[in-house]
Amino acid sequence: MSTPVLQARDVSMIFGGLAALRNVSLSLDEGKIHGLIGPNGAGKTTFFNCLTGLYTPTTGQVLLKGTVLPGDPAAVTDAGVARTFQNIRLFPSMTVLENVLLGRHVRMKQGPLSSLFHGPAFRRGEAAARDRARELLAFVGLSRVEDELSRNLPYGDQRRLEIARALATDPAVLLLDEPTAGMNPQETEAARQLIFRIRETGVSVVVIEHDTKFIFTLCDRVSVLVQGELLIEGTPDEVRGDPRVVEAYLGKPPEEVEAELQAVQEGETP
Amino acid sequence: MKAMARPLIIVGAIVVIIGALLPWATFVLNDGAYPDKASLEFFDAPFGLTSFRLYLELLGLAGLVFALVPLRDRIRVLKAVGWGSAGIAVINTLFIVGDGGGLGAVTVADGHSAFGGLAATVGAALLLVGAYQLPKAPLAVIKPRLPFWAEWLILLVAFVALLLLVTETLTAGGHSGVSDPYIGPLFLSYLCAAGALLGVLWAFGVTKWISDMSERHRIFSIVVLLLCAVAVPFTSLGNDYWMTITANIGVYAATAIGLNIVVGLAGLLDLGYVAFMGIGAFVAANLSGAVAAEFGIRLPFIVAAIAAGIVAGIFGAVVGSPTLRVRGDYLAIVTLAFGEIFVRVSQNNIGGLTGGSNAIPNIPDLSLFGAQFNDSLTIGGIQLPGGVLYYFLIVLLVALVMFVFGNLKNSRIGRAWIAIREDEDVARAMGVKTGKLKILAFMTGATLAGLAGAVFAHKLATASYDSFQFNQSVTLLAAVILGGMGTIPGAVLGAALLFVLPEELRQFSDYRLMFFGLALVVIMRFRPQGLIADRHRRAELADEDVTGESLDDTAIKSPVAVAGVKEAGA
Amino acid sequence: MGTLLQQIANGLIFGGLIAMVALGYTMVYGIIQLINFAHGEVFMTGAFGGLAVYSWLLPADVQQIWYVALPAMLVGGAIVALVIALLMERFAYRPLRNAPRLAPLITALGVSVFLQEAMRIFFPGASSAVPFPNAFITAPLHIGSITIPASGLLMLVVSVVLSIVLETYVNGSRMGRAMRATAQDPDTARLMGINPDRVIVLTFGIGAVLAGVGGVLYGSYIHNIDPYIGFQNGLFAFAAAVLGGIGSIRGAVIGAFVIGLIKNLADIYLPGGTAYDYVWIFILLIAVLVFRPQGLFGEAERVRA
Repeated sequence: MSTPVLQARDVSMIFGGLAALRNVSLSLDEGKIHGLIGPNGAGKTTFFNCLTGLYTPTTGQVLLKGTVLPGDPAAVTDAGVARTFQNIRLFPSMTVLENVLLGRHVRMKQGPLSSLFHGPAFRRGEAAARDRARELLAFVGLSRVEDELSRNLPYGDQRRLEIARALATDPAVLLLDEPTAGMNPQETEAARQLIFRIRETGVSVVVIEHDTKFIFTLCDRVSVLVQGELLIEGTPDEVRGDPRVVEAYLGKPPEEVEAELQAVQEGETP
Repeated sequence: MKAMARPLIIVGAIVVIIGALLPWATFVLNDGAYPDKASLEFFDAPFGLTSFRLYLELLGLAGLVFALVPLRDRIRVLKAVGWGSAGIAVINTLFIVGDGGGLGAVTVADGHSAFGGLAATVGAALLLVGAYQLPKAPLAVIKPRLPFWAEWLILLVAFVALLLLVTETLTAGGHSGVSDPYIGPLFLSYLCAAGALLGVLWAFGVTKWISDMSERHRIFSIVVLLLCAVAVPFTSLGNDYWMTITANIGVYAATAIGLNIVVGLAGLLDLGYVAFMGIGAFVAANLSGAVAAEFGIRLPFIVAAIAAGIVAGIFGAVVGSPTLRVRGDYLAIVTLAFGEIFVRVSQNNIGGLTGGSNAIPNIPDLSLFGAQFNDSLTIGGIQLPGGVLYYFLIVLLVALVMFVFGNLKNSRIGRAWIAIREDEDVARAMGVKTGKLKILAFMTGATLAGLAGAVFAHKLATASYDSFQFNQSVTLLAAVILGGMGTIPGAVLGAALLFVLPEELRQFSDYRLMFFGLALVVIMRFRPQGLIADRHRRAELADEDVTGESLDDTAIKSPVAVAGVKEAGA
Repeated sequence: MGTLLQQIANGLIFGGLIAMVALGYTMVYGIIQLINFAHGEVFMTGAFGGLAVYSWLLPADVQQIWYVALPAMLVGGAIVALVIALLMERFAYRPLRNAPRLAPLITALGVSVFLQEAMRIFFPGASSAVPFPNAFITAPLHIGSITIPASGLLMLVVSVVLSIVLETYVNGSRMGRAMRATAQDPDTARLMGINPDRVIVLTFGIGAVLAGVGGVLYGSYIHNIDPYIGFQNGLFAFAAAVLGGIGSIRGAVIGAFVIGLIKNLADIYLPGGTAYDYVWIFILLIAVLVFRPQGLFGEAERVRA
């Protein structure tokens, strides 16, 4: 059994007396997609912040490929963890291409002196970065709007841009925070396909979502977080069938949920 | 109301023309006829007019023509014409009233009547009212691309025209700039006319066309601009007075561009920036062999300048380090505190390095191959004014600073700086080492300021703490903001305005700082992106997209984009 | 020993003055996260306002009666400061409420410079120091070996009293609760029926009145004023607010006394004397911002994703 690519061990996060997370563990194997669901305020984004070095856990550890995560977000990204944000945080006055180029920053080598003189090495590096950025834009389907200001993009495109930017850092692990919030069914399906394609390139993914149907049809394993604690972790079927999850999170008995899911799959309006 | 637009404009334009032809003052003003004899006379030879009356006449004619000729973007063109006319009319009327002692000067007195001012004002008002009734139209865009030699030719013509415009602007009040008592309002009138001209060109899409062209032929444009700069001493600005002024503008422009790296790119509000210039100046002064200098050595200027840059850069890193953990507002205060520390310390002649209130005077003149920089120079029979070598040195300095700024901006480092400015936390999450980059920004800005300071000390022949106080930091910041944050032409324009205006408007010199303060408030309220806006900044601050179209117009074209933008929220 | 006590007394008096300006800084920052650069100028205009009342509104015989003249000047100064602050808020800051952070900061700078220069140009004689009457009891007080001018003691007492009143008000009253709510989370506060605009105006107003009163008392103590007293004392007041913890009333007052003591002790005991007192205060300010940005009583800012 190889080392999990990302591992959180008994992570607790306590802010001045309030425990936002309590003994949460998660194990992500290479090439897997892991879902993280739970009611609002359960601590999902806080957990992500611990996984990216933005917060240092009060107790517990986060390991990336067996080594403890550095304490600084920039170093964590350098080590191979990238993320998107719950409220889309693009660089508004930069174009689409420039946003993705910024993602390449950590993998580019041109320092101040090189940037000052724009020598041949510099130009080669820039060209390579642009090529890679364009590749990524094509990968997420945003090639035609390369020179648009990021803030002018429609909502769904902005989410895709954020993903392209994160992918530009050549991560081993990609953390997606509510990637389908506000999307219609077609966009959601496109998002799911995109995440599968991301997995095919060798990147492992953790996804926070409220859309449980999306999560259950996407992920290899699912963790449920309620009030800062891990309620259950398992395959989608295991989680879906657990009555505690259904009650605490969905608020209705399992049979009703099953019936609804059935109806959706058969093409009736939910 | 729309139906009234055209007639209003036509009537307004005609009234403006009539106003230009009418007498403007009922008697000769205290400091002499204003301007020339023209103010007292009605002109029946229309192009016998001079100065502001000529501008008014031309603007009136333009208004008439543009009202009648079929145009797509009539509204912007006529707005430019209207505001230009209004400005000229109001400024001159007010001035005559003020200087001539009351309304009688512009109406009827001593058997003379003079309604020029009032007529022009009324005409301009009618023109504007009519113009604002016109329907909105998309900004005109000139699309076709010409073969490269044609574009080169156009760029050459454009930049030479710009050079002429600049020299004319500066000498509008008279060549030596000192003797004409009416220099203030005449200069302002000229600015209004030039502004109207540029506004019309902008409305026709010419300015954007040329600016895009210069982007496409960047190297050629830079070469031409450099040649134009070098040509200045051969134009009507070729005398000692203007050499000094342009040299000062150049030094401050170089410093402003350096500040642009810190504020405009990285978004770090540095309120003590002028201290770095001061550090550079004192280092150069102490290494220049001046009598009051601490070290009794005289190093070649190039060495002293580099030393000045390095020392200033080190201090930049020193100032930058504590600020890493503090955010925007606090950063401003910390840098302000450093600036004040510098002033206090240099005022008290720390280590004997700064001369205290005696400063370090009599810094030796620079010389190249025996030619003293302050002296007049003769090249091939043409005599160039004194100080011309300093001017050339400063052109070189500005070119260097522009080179540094431009290259850094279009690089990995520049992008990272902009990202830090826009959203530092996200930049860090994307792997940007924000701490190191912020210090780099401070260091680079400081080094450039130090270089500028070294040149400044030699040009001024003195280094005194007095030149580097908080007021100067505010002025520099105002220059950067007024001109346009994050753009080179903006910084140069800003520095130019802030150093030329006081000369031209010497009558108001006491009010200068007060107007700076007011200008800062007004600009941040109404045009935060400055006069020449970086395309990103404009978009960021003024609700336009990258091509300069307002988002309203874009919305008409793409409902999806509108829905998307609305959904994405703030 | 006598000199040390004297310096401590002077320091406390100066601290009392600074406190009245620091309170305005800290309250406004707490509510809208803006360092009101021009707050020092509010203090300055208050001082000039009081002087104007004295010189132009009070008949000569009334000028000598301190228990009529002084209150009149205090009221006059407070009113002028209040008007300036409210105009500032309404026309310079409110339109920029949602602009990027650089904008209101630069605007504040502009307002500050504008007010300094406008006062210098338009107030008769203000291009150099203008004499300010000692409108309080002129006889100094002697306690042991120290001498305190009565106006200094007045400043100290007024400062402490007003601070306590303010603290009680903010913690106890309905409006005070509204202020604290708006400071913590304006959107939620709005949902609770609080009008943030009104609260912000009130905050500016209270800060202005305090600064205005401080300005008049400052004038009575130092016996002259000039248009730059706002800039100089404003930096001290800001340092005090930061030291105490920006957003904390108690912090601003305690910070002010600490700054006052340091300034006066530095004048005597640290190298460089009075020429360098600013330098020591600035170094302290920088150190606080680097090592403990939340000051003594403030809350540490947490980075949110």
